[in-house]
Amino acid sequence: MISIKANDLRLAYHVREKLTLRPRDKRLPQQTGGTISGSGRHRFVTALDGVSFELEAGDRLGLVGANGAGKTTLLKVLYGIYEPTAGKLDIKGRVDALFNISIGFRQEATGRRNILLRGLINGWTEDQIAARTEEIIEFSELGEFIDMPFRSYSQGMAARLAFAIATTLDPEILLMDEWIGAGDAAFQVKAKQRMDELAERAGIIVLASHSEELLKKTCNKRLELEKGRVKSFG
Amino acid sequence: MLKILSNALTDIVGGYEQRRVWITLATEDIFDQHRRTTLGPLWLLINYLAFAGTFIFVFNPGPVDQHYAIYVAVGLLVWTYISDNVTQAVNLFQREESFISGTTLPLSVYVMRLTLQNVIRAAYAVLGCFGILLVMGAAPAMAWLWSLVGVLVVLVVSPPMIVVFAFLGVFFPDSQFIVSNLMRVAMFATPVFWVHGGEGGLRGALYDWNPFTYLLDAVRQPIVDGTVPVLALSACLVVGVAFWVLAIFLLGTLRRQVALVL
Repeated sequence: MISIKANDLRLAYHVREKLTLRPRDKRLPQQTGGTISGSGRHRFVTALDGVSFELEAGDRLGLVGANGAGKTTLLKVLYGIYEPTAGKLDIKGRVDALFNISIGFRQEATGRRNILLRGLINGWTEDQIAARTEEIIEFSELGEFIDMPFRSYSQGMAARLAFAIATTLDPEILLMDEWIGAGDAAFQVKAKQRMDELAERAGIIVLASHSEELLKKTCNKRLELEKGRVKSFG
Repeated sequence: MLKILSNALTDIVGGYEQRRVWITLATEDIFDQHRRTTLGPLWLLINYLAFAGTFIFVFNPGPVDQHYAIYVAVGLLVWTYISDNVTQAVNLFQREESFISGTTLPLSVYVMRLTLQNVIRAAYAVLGCFGILLVMGAAPAMAWLWSLVGVLVVLVVSPPMIVVFAFLGVFFPDSQFIVSNLMRVAMFATPVFWVHGGEGGLRGALYDWNPFTYLLDAVRQPIVDGTVPVLALSACLVVGVAFWVLAIFLLGTLRRQVALVL
């Protein structure tokens, strides 16, 4: 049974002062939010603190919160990029993620070649990729552009291709960060339809976005983060 | 200690399981770099021949010395491979930041991607090296098989060497410039194009205490002198074990930190 159970998750890390010959940089790393404690060489960032929630098959969770609230950090913990420093995370199901449209895409390679590269990075076998290539091309509506270099694609075309690849192999749990708003209105309708289909096939979708409208249309649950802590869930 | 070893092995085994990714990416990297050129990757061969030719003809004026030409041809081949690995390793994780912070690929994937890129580059240089050996009339001998052992040793030492310098670059960013400068100096401090005649002094010390010397000699000595490079292979073994131990320690303790530090 596909599920996500997060119990009292915490991600805190020591702000390592990189050894450098230039004057000390007092700024904090940009990639995570949360709260800062300590000072000098003993600064810690608590990016997530006491985060608990449960999702079952068919749930579509919208993650909301101001910049630095911990949305992306939570997605990366769920995906396994960051390891929680405390708490328990129990994920049942194959997780796929779409954090950055351009990851794994080579500018000089054709869309078709990029399907292979992105598929390999996602952990698919070449047979699985070959079996789904035509379906990906059809969904992405790239037509003859599929044999053109990726650098000739608009942002919308790149988003369609990335989304088509990520959702074609039926991920059981799909994590998405913001970028889905990058496509045009027609693409968003199509993407929502596919996400509905995925959720109906007993998957879980977690989508981080600032767009209340997109989340209302897409999600059936909402988790609001503030400085790395859960403000509301339901 | 077991946890460190287990963490490191998880990454290394994961890198092996994802070999299709790094093989594909490394191959694409090489062809992408030369995509719009007329000669494509053949430029790698031309670069090597131009470099080797400069040493053979400029540093050794007068009639071409067959022995010296072979010495330089093989030495430069190995040196270029090692130097490329080290200098490109120092900012490896920074270059791969979008992958590291956006996918769960093991760090070994990036290490092997760089290793394979440089193996492919070296493969083009090997063609040039064989060309020089042929022109210089080097006669293949059974002792050359020991060079293959040397090549294997250099290849086995490469991934941990890349791991060590990649972590150094992440936690000590200035090392990118320090290491690239040191490698420029190291080229002259290593017997790539100068020959050690057994004298002492600075040159003797540079020869005896420079680990690069032995990596070069492990491949070069059987071809140039027709002898088994016992000392060089033994020294390479020590260097290799040291790098592997350090690389496993770094992977086991810091691999999860890289995404947060970048």
